[in-house]
Amino acid sequence: MNFSKKSQEHLDACRFCWMCRHICPIGNATGQERNTSRARALGLSLVSRGAVEYSEDIINNVYECALCGACVKECVTGWDPVMFTKEARLGAALDGKLPPYVLKMVQAALESGNIYGAKLDEKLAGKIRGLGKSKTLLFLGADARYKTPDNAGEAIDLLQKLGADFTALENEPDSAYGLDFLVGATSETKAAAETCAATLNGYKRVVCYDPADAKTFKREYKEWGVDVKYSVLTFTEYLDIILSDKKIKKSDLVFTPQDSPILARDLEETEPVRRILSKIGSVSEMLLNRRDTMLAGNLVMNEYMPAVMERVAADRWINAKNVGAKILVTESPAEYALLKKTKPADLDVLTIEEAIAKCL
Amino acid sequence: MNDFLFDVIATELEDAVGRENCSTRTIDKITHSVDYFWLSRMWADRGLRMPEGDFIVAPKDAKETAAVLKIANYYKLPVTTWGGGGGTQGGAIPVCGGIVLDTKRMNAIYDFNERGMYIECGTGTIYKHLEWAANERGYATMHYPSSLTCSTVGGFLAHRGIGVSSTKYGKIDDMVLQMEVVLPNGTIIETSPAPKHAAGPDLNQIFIGSEGTLGVITKAQMRIYEQPEARRFRGFLFHNMTDAFNAGRELLQKFKPSVMRLYDEAETASLIKKIVGVERKGAFMNVAIEGVSEMVDLEEKILLSTFGKYGAEDLGSEYGEKWWKEKITFFYPGHMMDIPQCFGTMDTIAPYDKIEKIYWEMKKAVETNFPQAKFIAHFSHWYEWGCMIYDRFIVDGKDVPKDPHEAFRLHQAIWNCGVRTALANGGVVNDHHGVGIKLGRLMKEQYGPAMQVFEGIKKTLDPNGIMNPYKLGL
Repeated sequence: MNFSKKSQEHLDACRFCWMCRHICPIGNATGQERNTSRARALGLSLVSRGAVEYSEDIINNVYECALCGACVKECVTGWDPVMFTKEARLGAALDGKLPPYVLKMVQAALESGNIYGAKLDEKLAGKIRGLGKSKTLLFLGADARYKTPDNAGEAIDLLQKLGADFTALENEPDSAYGLDFLVGATSETKAAAETCAATLNGYKRVVCYDPADAKTFKREYKEWGVDVKYSVLTFTEYLDIILSDKKIKKSDLVFTPQDSPILARDLEETEPVRRILSKIGSVSEMLLNRRDTMLAGNLVMNEYMPAVMERVAADRWINAKNVGAKILVTESPAEYALLKKTKPADLDVLTIEEAIAKCL
Repeated sequence: MNDFLFDVIATELEDAVGRENCSTRTIDKITHSVDYFWLSRMWADRGLRMPEGDFIVAPKDAKETAAVLKIANYYKLPVTTWGGGGGTQGGAIPVCGGIVLDTKRMNAIYDFNERGMYIECGTGTIYKHLEWAANERGYATMHYPSSLTCSTVGGFLAHRGIGVSSTKYGKIDDMVLQMEVVLPNGTIIETSPAPKHAAGPDLNQIFIGSEGTLGVITKAQMRIYEQPEARRFRGFLFHNMTDAFNAGRELLQKFKPSVMRLYDEAETASLIKKIVGVERKGAFMNVAIEGVSEMVDLEEKILLSTFGKYGAEDLGSEYGEKWWKEKITFFYPGHMMDIPQCFGTMDTIAPYDKIEKIYWEMKKAVETNFPQAKFIAHFSHWYEWGCMIYDRFIVDGKDVPKDPHEAFRLHQAIWNCGVRTALANGGVVNDHHGVGIKLGRLMKEQYGPAMQVFEGIKKTLDPNGIMNPYKLGL
């Protein structure tokens, strides 16, 4: 496994540094030393020096990272463990060394258009079919379509209730987020991105229900040189625009935002959700909020390490409990799904659309 | 060990802690073989494998820890306790193989006790997480070492760690009330319910600093403090170190600031210039005062008048605030010494009548015997009776032998020279990084016949010598 000069420099810097260990949601959940940036860097640096094989064991460790960027945010020097981790995944793919659980998802994406190899929920399909034509596309994404279809349906219901002019696609193309997460910028990933952009270029505006897709369209497509003609909005941004001139009676509810790491760190979007929640109720914060947020779940990883994902979400509930939060509000289908699954009896979790719908 | 016996032991350990918490994976063995010790880092940098544990075991509490230690005793397997692995002295390296006992699953917060002003937690808790737990309820732990985010409660206790606000709040050994310890034979004990007493010698202080050689600390009650109403900084520039020591000593007879840090001219001109922006010749000193606002006002007046008597130039609050903000920045790769440089921190401590001489003698000894080494220092933990030197040697990469064994020898020789000079002038082997395998050989030189007390305790508690062998000189 040969690393680029840049990745080698970063992993050599990280291999003896523990400064970000406290912020890793996976390491915190497992308590495993190997789930730290420095451990991954140390293993890979030894691989690059020929002291260790790039074996299944080391590769599995590379897949125990959520790529949430907490370590990148924490590093004052600017070292980037996400970069070398993604490069290590790409290397495993190119060397034909993908673990079976990754290979299965990659093959599913290539064959069925989504890494879960799932079919669209009939109820959701019906709702989508009922939508008219529009130049604004609500892009639901694989997590919402195949793992939390009820949320996707509620998002559609809310937008209709608010009188928004939008449509959605029954045969929505794969954004390539899942492939990028699993194997990085392989030719297959880029081809999926090209196919997706070709369809989406027929729209003026694409509203991403899942922050992961917004990040892929805004950041990765640009990096891969994919031609994007549409503007990209996150679902929360879109709701913020729609609600800006709407009068809503403020409720007594106190909401605590669970900032999605992708929104807060990759897209630097933290305020629209707070504007919305302040309009419909009031906001209380967790200690780790905005850019400092802690991941509460990832559905791709949930396919191969579900117990750890539940612990990741459970840890976030502890953070919420410690500050006396009552209702967590999420903007990511993955985080919603896992927080819902691990919800303590005396606390609640709502999607942003559920929170708004409660107050309309 | 043959494969059959290996499997026998592996399955017994799996039975004790659960299969998923007993690993023989390469990645786990590697990551528990390199800590922050320069020699382990150099070894890995040269593409060499450090000694590795055979079984990486993570118990969740004292009961599981006891089960592991009983198995280890039966099979006479070495046990090396690993917290965060952020130690600089090689204390967590499994030099003899065997079991690495990772404490990080013992991370429960058992009791947040506002009345008793402590948090009872598992010792595998990352200290920053303890700080978060305190902050979430409006308190603070006041233990702020640069390794706050890297290390565990148990790790700090095991090597007698210290944070930047030590002058007011004390060392880790001042911050603990009661501890639960698993002895090498698997017995679970508790230390005295209160840390100050006349019920015989202090059990806490026997296990604190024992670096995993006498047992495993599994639970601790750590103190919390109210957040200060005010925290104010003041930077000063002294013409010379003597004036600074005298000013600091006099100030501490009057009250205790939280932070006191004096940088020698070399460090003022290098690190302080780079990170804080002080571009002046002299010795920079940063002082922080904190607590109730009215007290802080008064203490600030006393500080200014006391330091004024010694000709200190008042640089105002800006540099101190910048230092506080950047206090951990110093330790990130790119801001800090790193491989291929050869470096080390030979921190020692002594009363005021000896400390300045120790500084000059260590500087002379290192610079004379190793002209390729640069020597810089600061003085960062102050008491009414004395203070510590955080003195560092740095050898540029071009002067470090390519052959790892020769690099090893150079490193050891500089350490021998520096620490022996400290000892000869009234210092100690180490102030707050511990001993580990790095300085074990020098413990006998400091303690002489007193070492038999430690050896006697070790022999009684750990007759099979399984606990962290070759560490602490035991």
